[in-house]
Amino acid sequence: MELYEAIRGRRSVRRFLPESIDRSVLDRIVEAAIWAPSGGNAQTWRFVVVTEPERVAKLRTVSPGLLGDPPVVIAICQDLGEARAKGSTLGETFLAPVDAAMATQNLLLAAHAEGLGTCAIASFHGRAVGRLLELPERVETVLLVSVGRTDESPNPLPRRTEGVIHYEAFHG
Amino acid sequence: MDREAFERKVFDLVGYMATSGRNLIDETPLYGPFRLVDAASRLIEILEQEGIGSSRLSTLREHIDAGKYSVMVDAEEFKNHLDAVVDAVVDHMDSGMSEGGEGSRTSM
Repeated sequence: MELYEAIRGRRSVRRFLPESIDRSVLDRIVEAAIWAPSGGNAQTWRFVVVTEPERVAKLRTVSPGLLGDPPVVIAICQDLGEARAKGSTLGETFLAPVDAAMATQNLLLAAHAEGLGTCAIASFHGRAVGRLLELPERVETVLLVSVGRTDESPNPLPRRTEGVIHYEAFHG
Repeated sequence: MDREAFERKVFDLVGYMATSGRNLIDETPLYGPFRLVDAASRLIEILEQEGIGSSRLSTLREHIDAGKYSVMVDAEEFKNHLDAVVDAVVDHMDSGMSEGGEGSRTSM
């Protein structure tokens, strides 16, 4: 799939088919995530791929933003202890979530190229998700991404450009 | 009715509502009404799965689901959608489980 086609064609979907996803496909999309840039090449992100139906169901219970019934949920996490050690306060408070977001976009596009639907969400209870995923205290979840085959193809929402893109200096 | 399965569904719904209650303190205000009607839809779905729904409840669920995601798109459209859902509630006030054409969907 051509890159611009993937960027423009990706949608957030909230309806999933009850089909499992091959481990090899999941490996590829997570590997795409770790090819994202990171501040100071810190690479302090961590990914927890959840495929057990029981654990996915428990995650849904404490994650109101996880809509539909995805077969896979990927937790995009950050090792804040390592981020602090590598990047000080900036690394922990700013670069960690930014790096996680960049990795997530790679993952979303790779999943789209694999014919999968996704939705990245922040509506979850961090401590509860941490307990369910058995995260060590230094690791926090930044985003959850639902992944699965879908028969949904939402219309693209309009993208605003006026007042958004500026050349050379901010105008207006 | 599988009592254990039913309890599990209700437990998940309660978890969804309780977590929403906490998270909405920090979230987009419009997500509050969304979570409320989505919880109503989920409740009706559980009742349907357990064979204790009704035609009017299913109609309301379908109505809610048809427009609930407009919250992600346009606040005014979402508000109008909720107004229409309330209109549908009023429309169905006088039709009980055993009225309304299709009648009750209960198996009790």
